[in-house]
Amino acid sequence: MTILVELSQCRLTYPSDTMGEADWLALEVDHLTVRAGERIALLGKSGAGKSTLLRRLRRELAGQTSWCPQEPGLVPQLKVFHNIFSGALDRHSALVNLRNLLLPSRRHQTEIARLAEPLGIADLLWSKAGELSGGQQQRVALARALYQHKPLLLADEPVSALDRIQGEAILRQLLQRHTTSIIALHNAPLALNLCDRVIALRDRRVLFDLPTSEVHPDNIQRLYQ
Amino acid sequence: MSTAIGFLTQTRSLRKLTFYFALLAVACLALADIDISTGSPGHELWLMGRGLLTPQVPDWQQWLDAVIYTLTFSLQGVVLAAAVGFLFAVYYHLTWVRVVAALLRSVHEVFWALIFIQIFGISTLAGVLAIVLPFSGTMAKVYGEQLEEIDSRPARAVHDRAESGLSHFFYTRLPLALHAMRNYTAYRMECAIRSSVVLGFIGLPTLGFHLETALRTGEYSAASALLFTLLALIYSLRYWFRARLLWVLVPLAFFVRPVSGDWHSANFAQFLRDCIPAPLREDWALEKSGRWLLWLGEQIGAGAWNTVLLAQIVLVLTGLFALLTSTMNSSHFVSGWRRRLGDGFLLVLRSLPEYLLNFIFLIVLGPSMLPAILAMTLHNGAIIGHLLGKHSDEVAPAVMESGPLSRFAYFYVPTLYQRFLAYCFYRWEIIIRETAMLGVLGIPTLGFYIDSAFEFLRFDVALILIAASAVLTLCADSIARRLRRQFLPAY
Amino acid sequence: MRLLTAILTLLASVYTFAADSDRPQFTFTAIPDQNEAELVRRFQQVAEYLGEELGADVKYIPVKSYPAAITAFRNNQVQLAWFGGLSGVQARKAVPGSEAIAQGYEDQFFKTYLIAHRDAGLEASDEFPKAIAGKTLTFGSKGSTSGRLMPEFYIREAFNEAPREVFSRVGFSGDHSRTIALVQSGAYEVGAVNYAVWDKAVASGEVDTDLVSVIWTTPTYADYQWTVRGDVDEQFGPGFKEKLTRALLNLEDESILQSFPRSGFVPADNDTYQAIENTAKSIGLLDDF
Repeated sequence: MTILVELSQCRLTYPSDTMGEADWLALEVDHLTVRAGERIALLGKSGAGKSTLLRRLRRELAGQTSWCPQEPGLVPQLKVFHNIFSGALDRHSALVNLRNLLLPSRRHQTEIARLAEPLGIADLLWSKAGELSGGQQQRVALARALYQHKPLLLADEPVSALDRIQGEAILRQLLQRHTTSIIALHNAPLALNLCDRVIALRDRRVLFDLPTSEVHPDNIQRLYQ
Repeated sequence: MSTAIGFLTQTRSLRKLTFYFALLAVACLALADIDISTGSPGHELWLMGRGLLTPQVPDWQQWLDAVIYTLTFSLQGVVLAAAVGFLFAVYYHLTWVRVVAALLRSVHEVFWALIFIQIFGISTLAGVLAIVLPFSGTMAKVYGEQLEEIDSRPARAVHDRAESGLSHFFYTRLPLALHAMRNYTAYRMECAIRSSVVLGFIGLPTLGFHLETALRTGEYSAASALLFTLLALIYSLRYWFRARLLWVLVPLAFFVRPVSGDWHSANFAQFLRDCIPAPLREDWALEKSGRWLLWLGEQIGAGAWNTVLLAQIVLVLTGLFALLTSTMNSSHFVSGWRRRLGDGFLLVLRSLPEYLLNFIFLIVLGPSMLPAILAMTLHNGAIIGHLLGKHSDEVAPAVMESGPLSRFAYFYVPTLYQRFLAYCFYRWEIIIRETAMLGVLGIPTLGFYIDSAFEFLRFDVALILIAASAVLTLCADSIARRLRRQFLPAY
Repeated sequence: MRLLTAILTLLASVYTFAADSDRPQFTFTAIPDQNEAELVRRFQQVAEYLGEELGADVKYIPVKSYPAAITAFRNNQVQLAWFGGLSGVQARKAVPGSEAIAQGYEDQFFKTYLIAHRDAGLEASDEFPKAIAGKTLTFGSKGSTSGRLMPEFYIREAFNEAPREVFSRVGFSGDHSRTIALVQSGAYEVGAVNYAVWDKAVASGEVDTDLVSVIWTTPTYADYQWTVRGDVDEQFGPGFKEKLTRALLNLEDESILQSFPRSGFVPADNDTYQAIENTAKSIGLLDDF
């Protein structure tokens, strides 16, 4: 299978808050490859370096990824429709984009409505994003990532604000719609259930990197100790 | 003793900063001309008081005409300046855009008007341009900073490269800043009404034209009617300066008073020729040129010295006045009708043109720098005080119960001090610009010499002096920016 | 309803104005040396009179300052102007070919009063009152002949120093009416004022002569005059300048003359003001270094 990205002997840093001070070390990676078609789960406690790794991968794969950050990062003043549409700004000409801002076209309306339906936000399309609950905002962010129409998904805790059943259903859809996915999750059973490879991070290092089938419950336990 | 002045050795101490500014102001005060020479102001003051209580419009047709001009000038000015300022703000990360914006706003609208009147005659074009140029510079700066301060997460969420196009700007940045930009534009409209009145003082047909005449000739009933009109215009803004109404009002403004000027290329060529420094234009001998340069240098020196002297005093007094009066418009100290009263008082105070305040103080205190100092302090202090008071509403009330005085000293000032200094630093360049301009009214700041140069049609001298005042403004701007960065990293 | 009518009238006036501006209109202005309402009243009458005499459309436009009057004249926004001695000299320098054509009878022997507040303790005298040294003084407008040029000339002659060396403070009130108000209020101790404006203000009871009085009168000099652009004949037809001059010299309407106040107009030419020009040059008000 094609190798999409390969990292070796990589020190990933996190920008320091105070100017002038050195950046913090967030993660050290000896070797890591991502192949097309893989469904990878990133596991680890918060602060283990999952978000840093995802950001790095996004930079390596610039232009090919759908991106779904941990914080929804919506524009609260805009309608849900426009927030979702903003996922595809690069796909359309500026003229089309500006037109849609003032006067959404029928074609894009149906496109986005179809996308929003399974996420359960179809009737929220004309509400302002700032007025939604945390769970609703997360689903809008997911819809926005889906609307980017990229082969590769990078998602950081995409279903953290949803209940378990809803979360699993939506995660399945996400995986289906992208050929390759790398998802940071805090829910290990969900990850083992849906993904085919697990990369576990601990203490700023890769603890293990195994196919799901080879992951032993003990490994998982040790990860969260 | 060593503990008392211990703050002097700290770096980044706001107390130290305040101390040095206050010290500088005291030094300036010692050097400034602030005699009080009261004669018998009673008679004039009695006439003013009576006029204030018996407002009277001598000619309604003329009044209406002036109101329409005042409104159309300010509306056209603000709309065009907002458009230009917005364009600049989009590209505010480019150095040259920031420089152009700073240059535009470093020259006071009165000076722009004096220049444009030479080119386009006393016309709507001259008036509108005089507002548009400095206002677009100011609006570019504020819009630009508002766009920089927004939450960048939405932009990063949909875009993985640093540079982003027009669509990204409209979807992920503009909506986040729009609310603040709108509020600021509304405030700018208030400033524009004030500016268009001030432009009347130098001959454009707004309310200020008749106000100046009325004041000059002692017709205080007519003056107070015009003053109340100005206050009513500014107060009513909140009811009609609305996005929805603007779609009608702006085209109406351009229809009722189309922007036009007297353009004659011969006049313009003549003006350009006059702008060449006299020694070069007239090809003077070296010795004569030397005398001219010396004469010019004296004016720049004296004008700049007085401008800086006055501005530093005004800056500190403005801060003091603002800090104290902001309590009148703050939920931490007043509520109900008293709050509305305080709000109204500050609004009225900031709406009164400094020119008018200066004139009243001149009658009462006699001629010195004092009338100008008081006039500028009241005007600028009211602006900052109003803003600061309003901002203090966002701060949660003090946890410890205490009397108003200790609440002021132990809670109010410490929590708001950074914001307060940020406002003062913002105001600094404006105070310099206005101090220079006030010279037109007689105090010997740069404006006095600029006015004299225009009086004797020495446009070359006028332009050089205007450039000198612009340099002073730019200096204040850059020092303020540096201090803000060092002492107030959050602002 | 009245407001609505007024708005409609204004809208209509915008259009009539636009239509008017197509044919050449004879426009004049005057330096704003006193109360504007009075100026408008006075020159509105003059405009009507000239309109009838010349058979043309004549309009008066008020301006806010001396240089604005000169600029309007130079830019051909006005073709005729009622200038003071010095502003006339400046205007004729700015527009080559322009001419002084008439002056008021009294303008041949114009004079300036030095007035003083009672508390200054100055006595009226025929000699120049040297006791004014050290007092505060306000001139009128910076470019005024009677309010600045001539008094400054005599002050320099008496003390051999610039006014700001002689007085503890020197100000410019802007115009004659305000000079009177400022001296009367005690803001300045001494003021220099146009004698005609003063006499009129005293006659109409606007001045409290107990508080402020005349302490010295300058020798006479030539002041106000009508100045016309050199190219009016090209703009309005041959012989226009002559017709205009005749109309001004023949002005006999009592109410107009009284409003100036002048008893009549007499011929003048550019040479009449040579002395003013020399004086201005000698104290550095005209480009000469």
